[in-house]
Amino acid sequence: MAYHSPYRAPPHINAPPDQSFLWNIFQRVDKDRSGVISDSELQQALSNGTWTPFNPVTVRSIISMFDRENKGGVNFNEFAGVWKYITDWQNIFRTYDRDNSGFIDKNELKQALTGFGYRLSDQFYGTLIDKFDRQRKGQVAFDDFIQCCIVLQRLTDVFRRYDTDQDGWIQVSYEQYLSMVFNIV
Amino acid sequence: IQDGQITADELQACLTQSGISGTYKRENMLEVLDRCCLQRDMSGTMGFNEFKELWQALNAWKGTFVSFDRDHSGTIEGQELQQAIRTLGYNLSPQAMNCIMKRYSNHGRIPFDDFVSCSVRLRALTDHFRRRDTNQSGNALFQYDDVSLNFFNLLNITFFFFFLNLKNF
Repeated sequence: MAYHSPYRAPPHINAPPDQSFLWNIFQRVDKDRSGVISDSELQQALSNGTWTPFNPVTVRSIISMFDRENKGGVNFNEFAGVWKYITDWQNIFRTYDRDNSGFIDKNELKQALTGFGYRLSDQFYGTLIDKFDRQRKGQVAFDDFIQCCIVLQRLTDVFRRYDTDQDGWIQVSYEQYLSMVFNIV
Repeated sequence: IQDGQITADELQACLTQSGISGTYKRENMLEVLDRCCLQRDMSGTMGFNEFKELWQALNAWKGTFVSFDRDHSGTIEGQELQQAIRTLGYNLSPQAMNCIMKRYSNHGRIPFDDFVSCSVRLRALTDHFRRRDTNQSGNALFQYDDVSLNFFNLLNITFFFFFLNLKNF
C-alpha cells in the first residue's frame, strides 16, 4: 500500500510580480519599518478567511523557509519568495475548495493530496483534519491547510528514505527513529 | 473529563499538582491547548493523564536545566546539554547526540525553551518506540499512518510548550 507516488508540482501560472508592486506590499507589511518582516507582522498581514489570527505556526514555518540569515524575519529580497509561496498556495486552495466555502473539507482534502501524489487511507484523512483543523469545523481553513501540507511533505520525505521498498513500513533502531523524527521538525 | 474536553478546573488541578500554579493563567492555557489542537486529544489519542505526566516532567526538566545553568544565564552549553540528556536517563550514541546538538545549538548555547522542546521529543519518541518494540530488541516496525499520528501529536505538544513561552518559567 503506497502512500506516495512521484510528486508533480502543480503548474504555476503567475508571471513574476513587478518589483515596485512587491515593495509597496513589503512596506505596508513591515509596520515598524525595520527593513525586516517579523513573524507577527506577517501574521497580521495574512488572512485565513475566518476572522481569527493566521496560524502562528504556519507563519513560523514560512518565515524560517525563506529567512536565510536566521534573523527571525525576512528582508525585501527574501520577501519575494514568501509572496510567491503564499500566492501559489492561494491558487492551490482556490482550486481544491470546489464549493467555494473558504474551507477544505475531507473530500476536497482527499482530492488535493491525491493530486499532489499521495496515496493515503480514508481514515488517515480523518486524522489529518482532526490534527490540523484549529477552527473545529471538521474542515481546514487556508492557514491550517498550508501547515498540514508542509508537515505531511516533510514527514513523507523522511519516511521514504527509510522505506526502501515503498510498502509503507519501516524497520528502524531506536536511534534511527530518534534522528528520523528530529530531522523532520 | 466531561465530554472529551479539559475544563479550566482540571487544568488548574494539573498546574497545582506540578507545583507551578500561579505562573500561568489557566484561561490562557486552555486557549493554547485549543490553538495546538490538543483539546480534542485529551479524551482521544493522547489522554489527560499523559498530559498531566508531561506537565510534571516539566518540573524535573527545569531542575536539571537549572543545575547545569551555573551562570544563571538562562542557557546551557552544548556539552552541558549532552550531560543533561544523560542525567535524564538517555544513553545515546555520539551520532545521535550530534544530531540533537545540530538541531538545538544556537552559537553553542541552548535556552530553556529549546531544552524543553528537546526533552519533550525524547520522552515522546522513546515512549512510541518502546510501545512498538515489545520484545526489547532495539528494533521496531513502524507503519506510515502510525508514525504520522505519533508525529502529529508530538508536534502539537511541542507547539503547546512553545506557545507557553517558557523563557520566563
